[in-house]
Amino acid sequence: MLLSKKEISILIEIIYSIVFALIFLPYFYENQGKNLILMDGLIEKITQIIICTVIYFAIAYSILEVAFKKKETRDERDDMINSKSYKLGYLLYEFSLFIFIGYVFSKFQNKELLNLTGNLELYNSFKLTDAGIIFIVLVLLAFISVIKSLYQFYLYRTV
Amino acid sequence: MILKNNLKEVRQKKGLTQEELGVNVGVSRQTIISIERYRYKPTLELAMKLAENLNIKIEKLFYFEQE
Repeated sequence: MLLSKKEISILIEIIYSIVFALIFLPYFYENQGKNLILMDGLIEKITQIIICTVIYFAIAYSILEVAFKKKETRDERDDMINSKSYKLGYLLYEFSLFIFIGYVFSKFQNKELLNLTGNLELYNSFKLTDAGIIFIVLVLLAFISVIKSLYQFYLYRTV
Repeated sequence: MILKNNLKEVRQKKGLTQEELGVNVGVSRQTIISIERYRYKPTLELAMKLAENLNIKIEKLFYFEQE
């Protein structure tokens, strides 16, 4: 299967999202019960993420530029494919935002119900910390980014 | 009705490769391949550029076919 430069650059993005999810999300998952200020080594983790991202893309795109010396024209087909895939990504973001807001509200509502019924043990186990919210947002971002890029790749192969 | 075209035949008659035609009208080779395989419907601007470049009337290059 011969791939064009554009298709390979989409694969680079997909690999980045998956690797990011596998390497960095467990840290946010483990710390989701805490508040941001109490997370161990948060600044170091963010610095690590930024440095790794810059290095990864610099190396990947440099290799791509060396392998495909010829400059590829960007035309109306690319614009059409991009608009279709970004539209899907936008719709997924919008949909997941509604689900997320509903989840947060239901969590608060359940907590209040437990408080009213006097079940303090369960009441105290219901936590929604800022680190937990960040974890959910990062999971959604990584997931939607992969879906959007896969759809973009599919369109490049079929349109 | 399906929008079809004679792009491949006309291009080959003119002795142009997909790459050359793409460069002439400012699109990639993949876009020319997609148009020739009826996968992608070009905009009016690109269709006119193709017709002009191949020195053929646009209605001869692109036509509707009954399903």
